[in-house]
Amino acid sequence: MPDDGVLIHAAGLIKRFGDFVAVDGIDFEVRRGEAFGFLGPNGAGKTSTMRMIGCTSAPTDGLLSVIDMDTVAESTQIKSRIGVVPQIDNLDIELSVRENLEMYARYFDISRFEAAERIDELLEFVQLAEKAKDRVESLSGGMKRRLVIARALVNRPELLLLDEPTTGLDPQARHLVWDRLYRLKQRGVTLVITTHYMDEAEQLCDRLVVMDKAEIVAEGSPRELIVGYCTRDVVELRLSDANRERLKGSVDGLVERVEWLPDRVLLYTETGEATLAAIQDGGIHTETALVRRSSLEDVFLLLTGRTLVE
Amino acid sequence: MNATKVVRRNALVFWRGWRSSMFLSVLGPVLFLTAMGLGLGSLVDPNVQAFGGASYIAFFATGMLAANCMQSAAFSASYPMMSKLTWQRNYEAMLATPLEVRDIYFGELAWIGVTLAQQTIPFFAVMALFGIFDSPLAVLAIPAAVLTGLGFGAAVMALTATLKTDEAYTWLFRFVVTPLFLLSGTFFPINDLPVWGVAAAQLTPLYHGIELIRGMTISNLTLVAGLTHLTYLLLFLAVGIVIGVRNLTHRLVP
Repeated sequence: MPDDGVLIHAAGLIKRFGDFVAVDGIDFEVRRGEAFGFLGPNGAGKTSTMRMIGCTSAPTDGLLSVIDMDTVAESTQIKSRIGVVPQIDNLDIELSVRENLEMYARYFDISRFEAAERIDELLEFVQLAEKAKDRVESLSGGMKRRLVIARALVNRPELLLLDEPTTGLDPQARHLVWDRLYRLKQRGVTLVITTHYMDEAEQLCDRLVVMDKAEIVAEGSPRELIVGYCTRDVVELRLSDANRERLKGSVDGLVERVEWLPDRVLLYTETGEATLAAIQDGGIHTETALVRRSSLEDVFLLLTGRTLVE
Repeated sequence: MNATKVVRRNALVFWRGWRSSMFLSVLGPVLFLTAMGLGLGSLVDPNVQAFGGASYIAFFATGMLAANCMQSAAFSASYPMMSKLTWQRNYEAMLATPLEVRDIYFGELAWIGVTLAQQTIPFFAVMALFGIFDSPLAVLAIPAAVLTGLGFGAAVMALTATLKTDEAYTWLFRFVVTPLFLLSGTFFPINDLPVWGVAAAQLTPLYHGIELIRGMTISNLTLVAGLTHLTYLLLFLAVGIVIGVRNLTHRLVP
């Protein structure tokens, strides 16, 4: 038996579709009450992993338990205790906003009386009370997303699975969703989130794993990952070709790592300001120069590469 | 039984437009029976024995009862189901609740049965008003028609569960459903077909549905023939269900 605090336990988890390996032997644990993130480029295996946790895809091999239950043998029981926010909205467009929640409550065997109370509460929570009678089709993208989240909460889940919860939303809508997710976490709901937005991961996740090519390549809190895989600062320079050549001759030993991109040069260093001053003092003229703290995005690109995955 | 929740969801949506649905399911048969039965029927020699002694309108209407169910069920299991499966992803949403694939499958199939009954009963009532039946046992034509339709519903559901796009439906309706409708004995007795045509027609489920209904309403059905038709229809449905559940499971829970 895994220890009490563990809500999801995966060991050697594998998912294959024919010859294609979507998830290749990953291990992770999600503890009760934390916000856990899966980061990775498209096709890294995040959604496949989420579907296995949500009991709508059986593992090919390995061990996966959710709330101490087996995701294949006890799927119905697990599903009654978790909430799922899928990547693509799958609301019932033939029903109104409120009916979407009522019908979902019925699927969960929640009594009509109990459902009415919860639905009022949930519509307030996601700021859709005034839209209760509207057709789903008339809602904006952000409203639909909030309705999907409200729907996933109708059974008061202890675990909420969110697959790219804010993809395609405008900044205001994203911040509203983040705010609501943060409140849920404060109430003790365990969140499992996939995203390829680094700011989302930094905002929401206590702990995360980076997936690439069906495997987990790094694990830790956002801060641990930045400290562990990156320098404190990054200096971004735009240079003329001549200055670029001159920098190539002088940069060795000055910084920990250099990345030569077609349009920019990135210098990874512990002391950004001093590095930039040293370069400019050396007579290299920079067209633009930016010193910034390194972010999760730097770690992400370092671990999963800059090549476009398609 | 969780499948009833799927039925209730469909009933809620249906209930909104029940007036127009009911209107159409009564108006349709009245128009059809008037135009085809009385219009075309008036051109048919009333003394001809080809319709087993029945009037053309009686012959045609009893065939239509089953053929309507086939077309209605095939349609329900095509575009509307593909929408819930692929375009709107309603099934994916249902699967995130304690509902399982079997609940979704049997809920949808049961709902097709409900809509078939909803269309067949008014049709049957209109036929009764036209004075087509002489025995109260004719009411058994209703479950027979629904059973025939369900078989086609299950078959098309099994197909839909394997499709990513709706292109195949054009072929399905043009080369399967319509030829069955025209050649399985709805409009004329299959004996008028060439020998190979008769053999082919006898293999189709629609032929057995129509024969079962006609036998119980306007001609005499032997017990052996009745059981043969019934067994055929039940087998057709059973095979459709087995393949349909397998295909839908494969699709929804890969």
